[in-house]
Amino acid sequence: MSNRDELIIRSLRVRMVEEKIIDLYPSDLIQSPVHLSIGQETVAVGVCAALDDRDMLFPNYRGHAFYLARKAPLKEFFAELMGRKTGISKGKAGSMHLAAPDYGVMGASAVVASTISHAVGAALAERIKGKSDRVFVAVFGDGATEQGAFFESLNFCSIHGLPVLFLCEDNSLAVHTSLDDRQSFSLERLSDAFGIVFFNEEAGFDPVAVFETTSAALRHLRGGSGPALLRVKTMRYREHVGPGEDFDAGYRAERTVTQWKKKDPLLGDLSRFTAEIALIRDEIDQAVEFAIGSDFPGIEELLTDVL
Amino acid sequence: MSSRTYRSALETVMVEALENVPSTAIIGQGVTDHKGIFGTTLGLHDRYPGRVIETPLAEDSIAGICIGMGLNGVYPINTHIRADFGLLAFNQLINLAAKYKYMFGGLFEVPLMMRMVVGRSWGQGAQHSQSLQSLLSHIPGLAVVMPATPQSVLASYRYAISEHKGPIVMLEHRLLYELEFDDDEASPSHPIFGSRLDRLGSDVTVVATSIMVLEARRAADYLADFGISVEIIDLHSTSHYDKEMILTSVEKTGKLLVADTSWTFYGVAAEINRVIAEKNPRLLSLPSVSVGMAPAPCPTAKSLEDLYYPDVRVLVNEVAKLHNESDGHSVPLPDSESMVDFYKHFRGPF
Repeated sequence: MSNRDELIIRSLRVRMVEEKIIDLYPSDLIQSPVHLSIGQETVAVGVCAALDDRDMLFPNYRGHAFYLARKAPLKEFFAELMGRKTGISKGKAGSMHLAAPDYGVMGASAVVASTISHAVGAALAERIKGKSDRVFVAVFGDGATEQGAFFESLNFCSIHGLPVLFLCEDNSLAVHTSLDDRQSFSLERLSDAFGIVFFNEEAGFDPVAVFETTSAALRHLRGGSGPALLRVKTMRYREHVGPGEDFDAGYRAERTVTQWKKKDPLLGDLSRFTAEIALIRDEIDQAVEFAIGSDFPGIEELLTDVL
Repeated sequence: MSSRTYRSALETVMVEALENVPSTAIIGQGVTDHKGIFGTTLGLHDRYPGRVIETPLAEDSIAGICIGMGLNGVYPINTHIRADFGLLAFNQLINLAAKYKYMFGGLFEVPLMMRMVVGRSWGQGAQHSQSLQSLLSHIPGLAVVMPATPQSVLASYRYAISEHKGPIVMLEHRLLYELEFDDDEASPSHPIFGSRLDRLGSDVTVVATSIMVLEARRAADYLADFGISVEIIDLHSTSHYDKEMILTSVEKTGKLLVADTSWTFYGVAAEINRVIAEKNPRLLSLPSVSVGMAPAPCPTAKSLEDLYYPDVRVLVNEVAKLHNESDGHSVPLPDSESMVDFYKHFRGPF
């Protein structure tokens, strides 16, 4: 299978998982908010395909795609979303706080921009512990680039020349507010002001393009030339939070999404992947069955791991 | 008898941390400068250049950087020369650090220490003097300690750095820094959590935090000459204090005064009274007394500042009233002297 097809299949797997979440949602098996990555899967898949297993990634609340792209376990994923004690975090985390440290997924926060500095700190710790060419990826959306913590993290990281990839998934929306209403600055020029090399990928729908641009950024990072900022343009198909579409709300034009979808390889001809799709469907069904068959955490968990 | 200062105990534990644990770092604004966090990190940057890290003025991200360090196997000690500046780190401290172990079902531990100095000396005003223990102790997942003596510093910092795997906030009081203490004055190994019986007594229980432990000692010494026996409990950990120690003492004396370095409402005083009210309000033979800062921001003018903070005179007066079981008493109050002035010329030993 070509690299392109491999990346498309991985992206498709993420989409199929999230479509299963949409199917399940009315049943109330998942009793917490979900921020779906549908439309943005190719970013996570392209970036993670370029990373090494030892690299650490610090995601945010829209984190299903990164968790799955790092190949963290699917059964524990569904169990986590359904609040079962077999979930990866015993059901205490849910959709917004996915983590899988064995796969380098270092914990998602639901406070915008709050894990960006964690990536910088982990990189600093790596240097203190000794030499390594591991890289650290801070994942955030375009809304996070307005936070002071983002500016502060760029500054500190640049002073110390740490190998952090600042990855901005730019879907042009912060909840319901568009980029033009929120930002007076250019991300590229901001990056330049901090002496941080800027990489840009407009074709966020194309996992190969994302993979290649990420690989170029990683060559810079592993070469010891300090941090890099990578912006990938992407498109959120669904509402900010929840399983539905909300084009009737009027904050963005449906046409923009329709045009983007024409370029989405996951909506193209998938007939050559029939076998793979069947396998993914089985995998998902088994994971859902595992989750539904699992117990809920009880009182013994209520006060465990507080301190 | 040998003596040591609170500051030198802090310096000792900082040196030990870097010397004994290669994966420890000190990070904060001013840790490498010529003042070295009131003399507690002086010269350490020269000896451990990669592990004593100066920072931009960016408390929020530095706290997050500390979490990232903790997640990747390095123990960070983050300093704030004023606890007030620590408020800029509350998102990371409360939303992230305090929650990481629990929220991820035990997948992560975030070992880190945040040293915050309660800046009260003279004229520090509203934003350089606050004592934030009750805000912090309210949050499950955080440990908060207010060491009152050098021995408390040595025991609790050593334990925190080598054993405790979560975030801990150390609230150090600026007025304590240069005070001399007898070296064998206290038990050298009380636990990081819990409280410490500072002085055995039989008439009135005083539960105190930080510098108020010393004010309580001065009051107790003074009152002893008038036949009043004061028991002092150094609360030590405001988040994980020793409930039983307090209940046992109050059961014995029936009289309680809480002396905190902060405001009394929703604070340490409120908390200690909650514990007694929920256990058995009849343990008290008289209504309890709470002593803390006046319910206002801290004024800068010295005349107001001296009124703002309670001191040994207030403690003597209130304890004597409790002992006499009336609004009056026959104990003459000690000479009026500003607490800050007192600690300027009287350095101990305590």
